[in-house]
Amino acid sequence: MRRVGIVGAAVTPFKARWYEKTYYELAQMATAAALEDAGLATGDVDGVVYAIYNDIFQRAAIPEHPLQAITGLSNKFGVRVSNGGATGAYAMSVAHAYLAAGRFKTLLVLGVEKATDCFDFQSMSATPEVIKTIGWSGDTFFEQKLGWTASDSYAEVVLAYMDQHPDDLKPEVTARLAALLSQQARDNEFAQRRFDQVTPEEVLNSRIVVYPFKELEICVYSEGAAAVIMAEEQTARAIARNTGQPVIWVTGVGEANEPSYAGKGHKVMHRIYSHHLAAMRAYEMAGIRHPLEAIDVAEVHDAFVQQLQITMAEMGFVPLGRADSLVEDGIVTPGGRLLLNPSGGLLYCGHAVGASNIMSAWSARRELVRRGLRRALVHGTGSTVAQYGVVLILERD
Amino acid sequence: MADKIIPPEAIPEVGSEVIRVDGQPYLLVNDAMYTFYRRTMGEFSPFFLALRDDKRILGARCRRCGLVRVPPFVTRCPDCQFAPTDLVEVGDVGQLISTPPVTYFANSLFQEQVPFGRGRVLLHGADTALSVNLYTTRGILVPGIFRKGTEVKVVFRRERRGEITDIFCVPAHELTPDQVQRRGLEETELDWERGQEPPLPAATEAAKERFAQVARELTALARELSAHPRARRDIAGWWRTVLVKTTGGTLVMRIADGDLTIEEGSVQAPDFVMVVADPGVLLDALAYRGSLTQAIMTNKLWISKNVEFNTIFKLERMARSLARSRKA
Repeated sequence: MRRVGIVGAAVTPFKARWYEKTYYELAQMATAAALEDAGLATGDVDGVVYAIYNDIFQRAAIPEHPLQAITGLSNKFGVRVSNGGATGAYAMSVAHAYLAAGRFKTLLVLGVEKATDCFDFQSMSATPEVIKTIGWSGDTFFEQKLGWTASDSYAEVVLAYMDQHPDDLKPEVTARLAALLSQQARDNEFAQRRFDQVTPEEVLNSRIVVYPFKELEICVYSEGAAAVIMAEEQTARAIARNTGQPVIWVTGVGEANEPSYAGKGHKVMHRIYSHHLAAMRAYEMAGIRHPLEAIDVAEVHDAFVQQLQITMAEMGFVPLGRADSLVEDGIVTPGGRLLLNPSGGLLYCGHAVGASNIMSAWSARRELVRRGLRRALVHGTGSTVAQYGVVLILERD
Repeated sequence: MADKIIPPEAIPEVGSEVIRVDGQPYLLVNDAMYTFYRRTMGEFSPFFLALRDDKRILGARCRRCGLVRVPPFVTRCPDCQFAPTDLVEVGDVGQLISTPPVTYFANSLFQEQVPFGRGRVLLHGADTALSVNLYTTRGILVPGIFRKGTEVKVVFRRERRGEITDIFCVPAHELTPDQVQRRGLEETELDWERGQEPPLPAATEAAKERFAQVARELTALARELSAHPRARRDIAGWWRTVLVKTTGGTLVMRIADGDLTIEEGSVQAPDFVMVVADPGVLLDALAYRGSLTQAIMTNKLWISKNVEFNTIFKLERMARSLARSRKA
């Protein structure tokens, strides 16, 4: 298996609404910027892995086909990945596999999503229709008609965890973590809520959307694109010599999909085993035994801040039942051992679904380079009841 | 008129508009993706027909390991090298496997049903849990009514279509022992509490003074919200007249396509009524110091129509829009 590294990355601004652009141009903006970052021309790239979550958002079946010409990669390899919220992370996993196998030297991983073209003409607002669109992801025979949403699905897992650990995920702690993410977004010029810093009190006072989630503890839907250029070892080293930027090696990749039905022999509702298994597989590949000691920066998919905390426990940063120690023991607060979601996360940078995990990789790479850190973790979650989990370990050359 | 697959009121008119961003015009077009289905329920047909016709719930029991999956989402057991399963009837009483979420902000198909719960019930005789809607017969659904282990009873809709929504669950403790025992309990047999407007205490001088003070502040805040472009957008295309009853007096809140006005007095035939003993609850929410949703959940605020959670969300969004811009 060949070593694989990231040699270029870019994101467009994440915005609540891009009136000015369709997903065609957003995709092209991210591609052009990522190629420029890697010092490459379109002819230097062997193919593309598209990360697009939802056909209905783009209002098209096979939404990626126009992008082949738009990205300048006509007549080359192109495959689309669609794995719910974990689409971007899975797309990078796919690119890694092709490159590690020696099929290609250089691939573009391109995520794009245009969520808020969806519009509900009864409430005259976008969000209920965006949620409805995602609602088509629920089990089609047994759940959709019950009002299934991404929020109530993840809330099921969070509430089951709270049944098991009633003293964890205290509202004042989740509020502090959400407020911390809002502070960190200030340093991300592409963040949707860059200048929307909130206090823990404001988080506590924000309305309940789906119990137990409050409005300011939930990611925001975004429109935007993100891209990374990945290359096998020799190519990556050559590109790095040219750009003067270090290669960010993908030293670990792990994935797991849980069952979506719950009960004996199926999903254990109070756990997110997918995140646990994905992390353990990625750690094994990267030779990591103690994640809190080994990892300097983590960009973790925070669909909901409580889920972010559980995920951190499932990945071994803190014990299950002690996820509040991330904040209470200062692990992720300023000056703490771990830099968590310096992009502001999906709560504050925004969640342009297919692009989100790629934005996370862009941010992790940026922090490794500019802070001179050694190792990062990038995580994605998706589907009903946090069913999918993907973890990538990135290391600076 | 027969029910339509797509509610007629959800279907937009053909139309378009131009929006300007940085002086440039961009075209917005009303549009939809729609596909109709005549969809087979295939191997799930016995399950849905049993719900519709017999008011019975079926599971799939593996002949080898004996696991009973409800709903019967497989005909062969994937844990036993695809050994066959048999359909078996399971009970219509069970326990919630975990504390269920309660939805207050629903997707566009479910806005008239908020607040509602969705949880997973392990029915007697089953090994996997069935997703069900959860309702209380006693007023607005708030967290705490349903918890992990709460015993619930399956209730059947009067009109059944062979869908998962032919059933829902209520807490067993809200029913009589006879109702809990009875197979095929129907919704019409339940004693639903009717939404009653809560009485307000008699107005004291202090309450009247408080009302006058808060009314002045609310009027000024409404003016500020109406002057704020983003907050105006939050109530664009929305019209409501709301009668707000408080201990110290009544207010009329008017929402009119971007304009929010609040004045003292009353009005005939409002779109809905809010009852809130302390008008400060409304003031705090619009000033982004509190939440109307939480006030409803904690019985500080009562609204006469649940569907008006739509309007509640819009008011809360306006408050946030103004609060955000003050920071930027």
